[in-house]
Amino acid sequence: MPDTNREIQELLVDYAGALRDGSIPAFLKSLTRQEGRRIASSREFWDSAEVVRYLNSAGFADKAVTPNVGLFISRVDAKIASRLKKGRPPSRVKHGTRAKSVTKTQKTEKPV
Amino acid sequence: MNRRLRKALEGLMDQDIERRRRAMEPFVRATFELFIRYLYRYLGNETECEDVLEDVYADIWESPERLRNVTNEKMLLKTVYLYYMRKRLREVYRRINRYLYLSQNDLKNLIAPELGILEMMSGVELHDALHKTLGRLKARERRAIELWMDGMSNRAVANELRTTIGAVKMLKFRTILKLKKMLSDYCCED
Repeated sequence: MPDTNREIQELLVDYAGALRDGSIPAFLKSLTRQEGRRIASSREFWDSAEVVRYLNSAGFADKAVTPNVGLFISRVDAKIASRLKKGRPPSRVKHGTRAKSVTKTQKTEKPV
Repeated sequence: MNRRLRKALEGLMDQDIERRRRAMEPFVRATFELFIRYLYRYLGNETECEDVLEDVYADIWESPERLRNVTNEKMLLKTVYLYYMRKRLREVYRRINRYLYLSQNDLKNLIAPELGILEMMSGVELHDALHKTLGRLKARERRAIELWMDGMSNRAVANELRTTIGAVKMLKFRTILKLKKMLSDYCCED
């Protein structure tokens, strides 16, 4: 069973491990409300997270398996082609959550 | 900046979109390694790095104006990070954000932080700085970090150092904070 009340040092070590192993989403999902608050209010966490990123960059970026550039170029070209086809700017950040929450509110509203 | 990269950047400034599209190939060839290593710092995952970078290049093709005054590699990386990468990085985990107990701002800061002095160090500079600062740590602290960087789990590090997992976590946390201070001092000295 995962630890649900981690101290800041445990959270930092888990973040470092997640970054090293490429599993940041799993780390993010593992956070509880209390841990989220703890991270937000901890200056030490943010300072350490910065160093963890450097360590990750220095220690593991060189070992990462990068794709063949030729293949990657064709992916980029395909992306450009699709944007040309659409003939419009790239997808902008849509604020879909607002619409969602409105619907949610509407759902919970009782008819007068 | 090397000649190949300078030529590639010149090609990107063409007004004609088809010519600019052709200019993307030399640009990608010249910058791919640099960008993907930089992205790896934030994501730690090759597949996600590739996906983000694909969008970053397409964004550069679409509006390369920000790169017009770039004169060196460091400036290129900084500009690309600030105007193209960061936006895409922030979108990576947006889809799961509604299920998280981390505020939107904290998530942004964790995945795509503001640039610090240390953040813009080149790979060589960073290696150099880390090598020097790691050398100044106590033997036990250095060992804990090195074992972690070798890919060991907390349990394995605890076994190696003959201590508990909790003590290893605390040791790593304290050591990382110490490293942060040392790296900041190192930058100030420079």
